[in-house]
Amino acid sequence: MRLNRLTTTGLVTTCAIGLALSGCSVKDPEAGGIGGGGGGARGIKTDVGVTSDTITLGAMTDESGVFKVLGLGITQGNQMWAADVNKSGGICGRKIKIVPADTGYSAEKAVPLYNQLKGQALGLVQLIGSPILAALKKPMVNDKIAAIPSSWASTNLDVPNVVMVGPTYDVEMINGLSYLQSQGKIKNGDTIGHIYVDSEYGKNGLLGSKYYASKHSMNVVQAPVSSTASDLTSAVTKLKGAGAKAVLLTTTPAQTASAVGVAKAQGLTVPFYGSGPTYTPQLLDTPAGSALLSGQFLTDALMVPWNSTVPQAASIRSQWTKDNPKGEPTFGPIQGYVFGLVWGQILLQACSDGDLTRAGVLKAVQKVSVDTRNLTASLDFTHPGQPSTRAQFLMKPARVPGGLDLVQPQAYVSKEALSYKTPFQK
Amino acid sequence: MTTFVQAIVNGLGEGAVFALLALGFVIIYKATETVNFAHGSLALFGGYIIFRAKEHLPWFPSVVIGVVAAALLGLLIERLLLARAKNATPDSLAILTIGVDIVILTEITRRLGTAAAPFLGDPYDSKPMHLFGATVSRTYVVALIVALVLIGLFFLAFRYTNWGLAMRAQAENREASALMGIRSWRVTASAWLVGGGLAGIAVIFLATNDIGGGSGLLASHTVAFAAFPAAVLGGLTSAEGAVVGGLLVGLTDSIASQYVDLNFASVAVYLVMLLVLVVRPAGLFGRVEQARV
Amino acid sequence: MSEAVEAPVVTARRDHETVRTAVKYALIVAAGIVVWLLPAYVKNEWLVVLMWIMTGAVGAMGLTMLIGQAGQLSLAHTFFLLVGGVAYAVFASKGTSEYIGFGLPTLLSALLAVLVSAAAGALFAPISGRLRGIYLGVASLSLVFLGFWLANQLPSLAGSASSGRYAPSLNFFGFDFGVQTPSLYVLNVPMGQTERTFWLFAALTAIAYALGRGAMNGRVGRGWRAVRDNEAMAAVMGVSVVRQKAMAFAISSAYAGLAGVMTVWWYSGLMKPDEAVDHGTYSTTVAISFLAMCVIGGLGSLGGSVMGAALVFGLPLAIPLIRSEDTVSAGGTAFTPVVITNLIYGALIVLIVIFQPRGLAGLWDRAIRLVRR
Repeated sequence: MRLNRLTTTGLVTTCAIGLALSGCSVKDPEAGGIGGGGGGARGIKTDVGVTSDTITLGAMTDESGVFKVLGLGITQGNQMWAADVNKSGGICGRKIKIVPADTGYSAEKAVPLYNQLKGQALGLVQLIGSPILAALKKPMVNDKIAAIPSSWASTNLDVPNVVMVGPTYDVEMINGLSYLQSQGKIKNGDTIGHIYVDSEYGKNGLLGSKYYASKHSMNVVQAPVSSTASDLTSAVTKLKGAGAKAVLLTTTPAQTASAVGVAKAQGLTVPFYGSGPTYTPQLLDTPAGSALLSGQFLTDALMVPWNSTVPQAASIRSQWTKDNPKGEPTFGPIQGYVFGLVWGQILLQACSDGDLTRAGVLKAVQKVSVDTRNLTASLDFTHPGQPSTRAQFLMKPARVPGGLDLVQPQAYVSKEALSYKTPFQK
Repeated sequence: MTTFVQAIVNGLGEGAVFALLALGFVIIYKATETVNFAHGSLALFGGYIIFRAKEHLPWFPSVVIGVVAAALLGLLIERLLLARAKNATPDSLAILTIGVDIVILTEITRRLGTAAAPFLGDPYDSKPMHLFGATVSRTYVVALIVALVLIGLFFLAFRYTNWGLAMRAQAENREASALMGIRSWRVTASAWLVGGGLAGIAVIFLATNDIGGGSGLLASHTVAFAAFPAAVLGGLTSAEGAVVGGLLVGLTDSIASQYVDLNFASVAVYLVMLLVLVVRPAGLFGRVEQARV
Repeated sequence: MSEAVEAPVVTARRDHETVRTAVKYALIVAAGIVVWLLPAYVKNEWLVVLMWIMTGAVGAMGLTMLIGQAGQLSLAHTFFLLVGGVAYAVFASKGTSEYIGFGLPTLLSALLAVLVSAAAGALFAPISGRLRGIYLGVASLSLVFLGFWLANQLPSLAGSASSGRYAPSLNFFGFDFGVQTPSLYVLNVPMGQTERTFWLFAALTAIAYALGRGAMNGRVGRGWRAVRDNEAMAAVMGVSVVRQKAMAFAISSAYAGLAGVMTVWWYSGLMKPDEAVDHGTYSTTVAISFLAMCVIGGLGSLGGSVMGAALVFGLPLAIPLIRSEDTVSAGGTAFTPVVITNLIYGALIVLIVIFQPRGLAGLWDRAIRLVRR
C-alpha cells in the first residue's frame, strides 16, 4: 500500500515536472487575450476572428430555453444574411462564418461559451437575454467585443460595445401612448395601467410611460410581476379597480395572453398596448387568441412584419419557407437578417478604415448609419448612448403568416419620443 | 368588495387544485416516506399525453387517457426505480425523484419544441361566470367542484376499503403491517398510482389560461411546486392536512397577490408555512414524532 | 471517515508514520505545482468551468457537513450564497448614489461576508432547532423565496435584478486577481484575470477542505454525529444539542457565504439577484442542485462533494463546450447540448441513488480498495 502511494506520488511529480520542462504550453497566448494586432492581408489590421479569407462572428443564442422560439428564428436570419453576403463575394474579401452557441437562457452556461467564442470570433451578431448581457457586459468591455443584444433597455447603452438595433423599450411605450392619444383612445389626465416584468425590461418600459404621463398629466398605476408569474388575474383586477383607461404591457408573451384573456373574462375592454417582446404569433392559438384579434391589443416591432411587401422581406420569406417547409414563421428571421445587415455595414466601415481588429470595429460602430433595405427605419449609430432609431412599426395581431399586420405602412415616431432624453444620452 | 369576493373565489379555485396535488403528494409520502420532487413532472406528463391524444380524439377520452398515463408513470417510477433502490434512505429517494423530474421535464420541453403553449381546459377555458357581483373564471369553479368530489371519494375509500385499511396500517407501522400479511409492495405501488392519477387530474385545471396563465402546459410544472408547501403546511402524513393546506396556500397566494403584489405572493405562501411550522413543527395535522431514547 | 479510523497509532509504526507524512507533503507539493502550471495549459473556457466546479464544491462541502454529519436537511443553501455575495459587494465596493458600499479592503470584505453568512445561519437556528427532516428542508426553502424577494426589493444593496452591481476583485496584499494587463508569465503565457482567479479558487477550495476535515475529525464533528445519531443520548452525554445544531448551521452557512463571494468573483465582479425564484444563480433549482451534489457525492463526505460538484455544476457547462458546429433546427425539438446535458444529469442522479447509495465517495473508496489489493 505504502509503495503504491509512493509510486503514484512519484509519477504525479515526474509528470508535473516533465510538463514544466517541456517549456512551451498548448495555450496560445494571443487567443483569448487582448489583441496585439498584426498586419493582415492587404495591409488591413486584424486580430481575433479574422483570417485572410474568413470573418467569424459568434451568436450567443437560446435554442433550448424559454426564448428558443426567438433564438432559433434570429439565428436562422443571421445565417441567411451570411449566406447572401458570401454568395455576393463576402465583405472585405472575406467570407462570413457564424458560430452559434446555445446558452439555454442561463448565465452560468453563457460564461464558458463566451470564453470559448472570444478565442475565435471577432464579435457577436446576436446575444439573447438580459441576464446573459449582464453577465457578459464587463468581459465584453475588457475584450473590446461588440455585440447586438436581443434586449432593448436604454439603460444598457452606457458602453459602446452594446450595439442596439431599433427603438428602446422606453421609446416604444412613449410612441404607443402617443398613438393611442392621437386616436382619441386616451386623453390628458387619464389613468393608465402598466403591467411590467420587474426587471430591466419592464422598468425601462415604465421609464417611458412615466415620461409620457408627466407630459400629459396622466397617472400611471403600476403592476409589477416577476418574469415567471403566469397568472395575471390579480394585476388585471387591480388595474380595473383603479379605473385604467388603457393598459400598457412590458411582459412575456405568456403573460400577455393571460392579461388579455383575463381582461376579457372580467369585462375590461380598454385598449392594450404591448412592447415588441410581448407578442408571438403562437399566442393566437391560445384561449386569448380571439381577444387579441379583436383589435383591442396593439403592439410594435422594430422591423416590418413577416408578410410585408418590402422586397427584402419577401426574399427572406421565400428562402425561409424553402428551408423550413413545415415551420411556423416568427419575426425572428427578419430580425436576425437586420442584425446581419448592421454587422455588414460595420465591417465595411472597419474595412475601409483598414482596421478589422476588435478595437477597429468598436470605432467603426460609431461611424455608421445603416440602410436596412426598408426592413426597419433607418438606423443611426453615430450618437453613443442613444437608441439607433426612435421610430417603430405599429402592429396588430392578424391571422396571417407571422401573425402580425401593419397598422399603418410607415414607421411611427412621436414628438414626445424625439424630445425624450434616454438615460445615457449626452 | 367585489374584488375581495373575486380574490376569495380565485384562491379557493386555485387552492382546490393545490389540494389535489398535495393529496397525491401525501399519499405517496405516507406509503413510501418519499418526498416526491417529480410531482410536477407527473402532472406535466399527463398533460402532454392529453395534448397529443387531443389531436385525434375528443376532449373527454383524451383526458381519461392522460390521467391513466400519469397514474401509470407514477407506478412505473415506483416499480422500476424506487423499488430497486433498496439501500437508499428516504432522503436519497427524494433525490432520485429530482433526477426523474429533470429527465421528464427536459424531454417534454424538447418534444413540445416551438409549438404553441398547449392548453387543456377546452370546455371551460376563459369563460367567465358571474357570482355575487364578481366575474370569476369557470376553471376555478369546475376545479373546486371536481376537487371536492374526488377528495370526498378518497376519504371514503381510505376509511371503508381494504386498500385504505392497508394504507393506514402501513403508514402506522410498516413491520407490524407486514407481519399481519399486508403486502407492502402493493400498498406502495398503489399509492404511486393514485398520486400520479391525482396529478394527472390536477393538470387539466393547471394548463388553462386561468391558472397556468398564458404559458399553458409548461407552467403546470412550476405551479405544481406550490403544492409542496401545501402538503408540508398541512402535515405530510395527513390527508385532511393536504386539503386544508391546499386551500390555505391558494387563499394566501390569491389575497397576497391582490393586495400586495404578485412577487410577494409566492413569498407569502412560504412565510405562512414557516410560521405554521414554528408553532407546530409537524404541520397543522401532522403526527408529532416521539423521541425515544 | 476511514481516515479517522486509522488515527490510533502504535509506536512500532512510527517509521510508517514518517513515510506517510513525507508522502502527504510530497502530494501537497505536487498538487501545488499542478495547480500553478494548469492555467498555462488549459484554455480559459475550461478554467472557467473548473472554477465553477470549485465554487459548487465549497458550497457543497458546507452542506454535506450539515446534512451528513449533523443530520440537518437544508434547501436554503443558495440563500446563504446570496447573503455572502451581497455582503461582499456592499463591503468591498465604494458607495455611489445608486448603491450602498463601504469600500473596505477586499480581503477584509471577503472575511466579513463569510462572517455575515455564518451569522445569518445562526439566526435561523431557533427555527432549524425545532424542525426535523423534510420539514426542516421545506422550511429552509422559504429562505430562498425570502432572499429572492428581499434582493429584488433592495436593489441599493443587492444590485438591480437585471444589470446587477459590480464588486472589485480580490487584491491580496498587492497581488491583484482581477488584473487586466498581465505582467506575470508562467511558461510564457500571461496570467490574466481568469488564470489568477483559478489559483485563488484552488487555494480557497483546499483551505475549505482542510478546515472541514479538521472540524469533522475533531471534537466538533463528534458532537455533530452524536446529535445526528441520537439527540437524547447526546444530551445525556453532555453535548448541547441546541448549540451543536446552531453551530452546524452557522458553519455550513459560512461555507455557502464563501461560495457566494466566489460566485461574484466568477462573474467578473458582478452581483446580480435572479429575475425569477426558480431560475437563476440563487434559485430554488440551484438550492436543490446543492442537495443533489451532496447525495451524488455521498452524504457527509468532503471529497464526495467535490465529485458531486464536478457532476452537477461541471457537466452542464462542459458539454456545450464540446459541441460540434451545428446547424439550427427549425422545430426546436433538436437534442441540443443543453438538452443532452440535462438528460444525462438527471439519469445519473437516478442511477447513482439506485446502484451506489453511498454516492461517488463510496465508489471512490471501492476503487481505491481494488487498487490496493
